[in-house]
Amino acid sequence: MSDQAISIRSMNKYYGGFHALKDIDLDVAHGEKVVICGPSGSGKSTLIRCINRLEEHQAGTIAVNGIPLDDNVDNIDEIRREAGMVFQNFNLFPHMTILENCTLAPRLVRKQTREEAEAIAMSYLERVKIPEQAHKYPGELSGGQQQRVAIARALCMAPEIMLFDEPTSALDPEMISEVLDVMVGLAEEGMTMVCVTHEMGFARQVADRVIFMADGEIIEQAPPGEFFDNPSSERTKTFLGQVLGH
Amino acid sequence: MTDLAIQSAPALSKIKKHYFATPLNSTITVLLAAFTAWVLWSLFNWAFLDAIWGYGKNEECRAHEHGACWSFVATRWRIVLFGLYPFEEQWRSALACIVMLIVAVLSCVPVFWSAKRLPLLWVVGFVTFYILMRGGFFGLTTVVERDWGGLSLTVFIFAAVCLLGMPLSILFALLRRSELPWIARTMALLIDVIRSLPLLSIMFTFAIVLPFVLPDWAIGDKLYRVIVGYAIFFACYQAEIIRGGMQAIPVGQEEAAKALGMGYWHRIGYIVLPQAFRNALPPTINQFVITFKETSLVTIIGFFDILASGRAAAGTADWSFATIEMYVFVGLLFFVFVFSLSRYGAYLERRMSVGSR
Repeated sequence: MSDQAISIRSMNKYYGGFHALKDIDLDVAHGEKVVICGPSGSGKSTLIRCINRLEEHQAGTIAVNGIPLDDNVDNIDEIRREAGMVFQNFNLFPHMTILENCTLAPRLVRKQTREEAEAIAMSYLERVKIPEQAHKYPGELSGGQQQRVAIARALCMAPEIMLFDEPTSALDPEMISEVLDVMVGLAEEGMTMVCVTHEMGFARQVADRVIFMADGEIIEQAPPGEFFDNPSSERTKTFLGQVLGH
Repeated sequence: MTDLAIQSAPALSKIKKHYFATPLNSTITVLLAAFTAWVLWSLFNWAFLDAIWGYGKNEECRAHEHGACWSFVATRWRIVLFGLYPFEEQWRSALACIVMLIVAVLSCVPVFWSAKRLPLLWVVGFVTFYILMRGGFFGLTTVVERDWGGLSLTVFIFAAVCLLGMPLSILFALLRRSELPWIARTMALLIDVIRSLPLLSIMFTFAIVLPFVLPDWAIGDKLYRVIVGYAIFFACYQAEIIRGGMQAIPVGQEEAAKALGMGYWHRIGYIVLPQAFRNALPPTINQFVITFKETSLVTIIGFFDILASGRAAAGTADWSFATIEMYVFVGLLFFVFVFSLSRYGAYLERRMSVGSR
């Protein structure tokens, strides 16, 4: 096991002529919880989507648990198994029940038997407090419930790292806390987490480090106390003023 | 009395409102109603009251001009259903048809919807059909494909085209969506070229031109060449239908599958195709219906599908007057088939809407 869970060195990402990520250097230690925030279009989602190759970077290196992310498909698959991901729009498979959503990848990728996979899935569904929905379809659940299923689905693959891409942004306000509660629980158990989120309360409570991005660059990173109370850059101050202002 | 009046009042007022609102409106209603009644009555008269039933009454039919001659169907139905197939072996053709029908019905039952059972069912069905039709085994006399005809030929061509065309169309759709531009573009060009050719010219090419080009061992019977050509044509249309169904799937679906570490074939097999087929169900049923009806084109290259057999049945001097009855009978067979197909499609849509967003 390498000493860093995620290690990114001078990584650059372009969309055609648009320079989306500029010389990103970022290390995430095992068990560390990192929150990435920043205005929209700042590249924070792109950054975590590069970590499991949903987006391809053009220059620099990324390694997850010491596995280099290159064009080797085996490495990509291994990294994707190590890093679970939760999306803004849940992305549950609508044609499968909740239980099937949670057992599909473990059965296909981890070669678990149906019984094994279902037992594990039920234990995670209990942890996210919706075991009774196991045989429903995603369309029958509320947004908050769907996102909790999405977290359980990712956990079923037993990942070492969890990537959260704005997990509460598509939720109605009253459902945000049920998802955050699950994420807080996960953090308390020592999961390595990288979260792109606007939930500053969550960042303050859980994060070991808060990263502020703008225009494809990491502008500032600091422990939450320092970050919120004494930000060093002007752009961070402006952003925090907008987010926390009301 | 008062209860009844209250109950019927809304219905009556509705009729009045919709059909008798103004004098002009009333006139049109009455005229159209009278016309409809006259058409229906004439049709009923022709089809039932004035009709001649029973076996072999062609002389009576000829004398009696203003009624349907169902005696034609009663006498000549075997030619319509079986074409040139030898008379004393026609039970085999009927049985083969029934086997295909059973296979089709069984494959509509969810119990058979698994990657193992469905292909197995169809392979068993096809082998049974072939043994029954072709013979040469188990003491059955051989009947070559040239002599097949009627309903069983139509059903055979349709089923073979769909079964060959469906996997082909999935392959085409995947190639068309390939991330390698030269593969995607070549496939797009191929689809566009084949779609722009008339089906008839493709059938001609495969039936008549291909034997000059292919080595002897690859020629095979004309019937199978036509089926292959038709299947490629079917696959080009169906590939675009499936691709449309794929494009309607949110990008997040494949991303979620990728993020779970699922490989390409797992993503295609478990995430993309099931949703693509659900999205594409109505146009797929449509494509099946068109394919079934266009099997009639094989007549032109010398096969006796059900329509050609019908024409042959009404083609002798004895029955030459019975073309309308023949077309009604053949039309009815087509209708039964296509209508059950569309009802099945509607059932599938209802069933699948359970798991939709």
